[in-house]
Amino acid sequence: MSARAVGLSRDLPAGRVMPAHVAGQDLALWRSVSGVLSAWDNRCPHRGMALSHGFVRGETLACLYHGWHFGCDRRCSLIPSHPDLNPPETIQTQAFPVVEADGVIWVALSGEAQATADLSGFKPLRSLEFRTDEAAVLPIKRLGGVAVKALLNPMKPASDGSLRTLVTCLIAETASLEQIKAALLDLEALRERAEGKGAS
Amino acid sequence: MSRAYAVNDWYVVADANSLRRGPTVTHLLDEALHVSGSFDAPVVTTAEGRRLPTQVKFDHLWTTLGDAPRPLFDIPEGDEAGRTRVPCGMVRVKCSPLRAVENFLDIAHFPFVHTDVLGAEPHTEVEPYKVEIREQDDAVWATRVKFFQPQAAKSAGGGITTDYEYRVPAPTTAVLYKTCPPKPEAQDVITIFVQPRSETECDVWPWMALYDFEAPYAELVQFQQLIFLQDRSILENQRPVKLPLDPKLEIPTRADLTSVAYRRWLKRRGAFYGALAETL
Repeated sequence: MSARAVGLSRDLPAGRVMPAHVAGQDLALWRSVSGVLSAWDNRCPHRGMALSHGFVRGETLACLYHGWHFGCDRRCSLIPSHPDLNPPETIQTQAFPVVEADGVIWVALSGEAQATADLSGFKPLRSLEFRTDEAAVLPIKRLGGVAVKALLNPMKPASDGSLRTLVTCLIAETASLEQIKAALLDLEALRERAEGKGAS
Repeated sequence: MSRAYAVNDWYVVADANSLRRGPTVTHLLDEALHVSGSFDAPVVTTAEGRRLPTQVKFDHLWTTLGDAPRPLFDIPEGDEAGRTRVPCGMVRVKCSPLRAVENFLDIAHFPFVHTDVLGAEPHTEVEPYKVEIREQDDAVWATRVKFFQPQAAKSAGGGITTDYEYRVPAPTTAVLYKTCPPKPEAQDVITIFVQPRSETECDVWPWMALYDFEAPYAELVQFQQLIFLQDRSILENQRPVKLPLDPKLEIPTRADLTSVAYRRWLKRRGAFYGALAETL
């Protein structure tokens, strides 16, 4: 399976965790304080809690439920209810290939995570969710009069069943601040149209 | 989905306050029920109009769908003189009713989920405690449970080590006996009665019988509601939604002995409603 764009690098600073989704797989995407990026199955092996609700401590991601710590090597390094215990090696999270290129985070569920679009000459604009299926997002080539690249990733349907698509947008490196502002407004308008809320 | 065991248990479907607000439709084990009347003359019927048996106990209205219901368990401490009995209303949670009970039996999450109230870092260690299944009342018991708590109860002034005992008399009920700050020789009783709306959604009815002489009723309820709202943020984010009974699916540690016994006890009696009984 080829990699999918799950967001912009700048939206995940060091010491933070966020949820992501690729092809039916829920992910906890997190960056350690020193900057190591990981994409894990969004589930603590202890009691199934979503790790994306957890918190980063140094080079570990801790589960919000019982505070179990997991290091960048996926291994459990601390069980707070038994602080003197050295957790067995078998307690691990499941990791997926992840890579960053041109300010975009890419995740694959198997093989190697590789950027599937050539983004040279472009810089990050915005990553946002459209409440539509992938097909309803029309090709986005220009915004605010400037060339852009849009990367689409179907997300898990919302709890009410509505389909969602993550749109990660980049804009030509040469774009001015005014052009970026115009492009952001265009992108919002595009979303409203795609979601059927705009003037028809 | 197996309701075979679950239909013969009794469940809370209302309290005095909810009855006072008038007739309602609620759900029990995937069935819609009409609830009306008062504590003195309650009426519970199925969508087809079948009238169900009712009883009022522990300040709640109970009903059952089964033809051969097991007797409703007792909580004798609830009737002791000097206790304030506090029904705490209802919290709806989109989770398996069994996950809600298991969370109630768990102390290791206190420092992380109920931070600075029921627990706080660095006091995270869970000392060894005792778990058993008592055959005479067919219940799971955890005893000699101890935990350091910054504010164990509304009546606790500061941090204390609290003694706990847990009893699970039915798959969807858990009773907690804990140190009562104003009366050290006695124990406060805090329970949750879980109404399984479906295998993945439940209404939790906390009920307390306390020796708390000072706190106004509204404050006691508010304290419990805060705790359960914090728990809800966990319970609605566990996967799989149903409680796995296969020990390979979720890794326990020594602090989870109560949960391990609870899962085994459910499995042994075939109480699979809300459980993931099959191996993945």
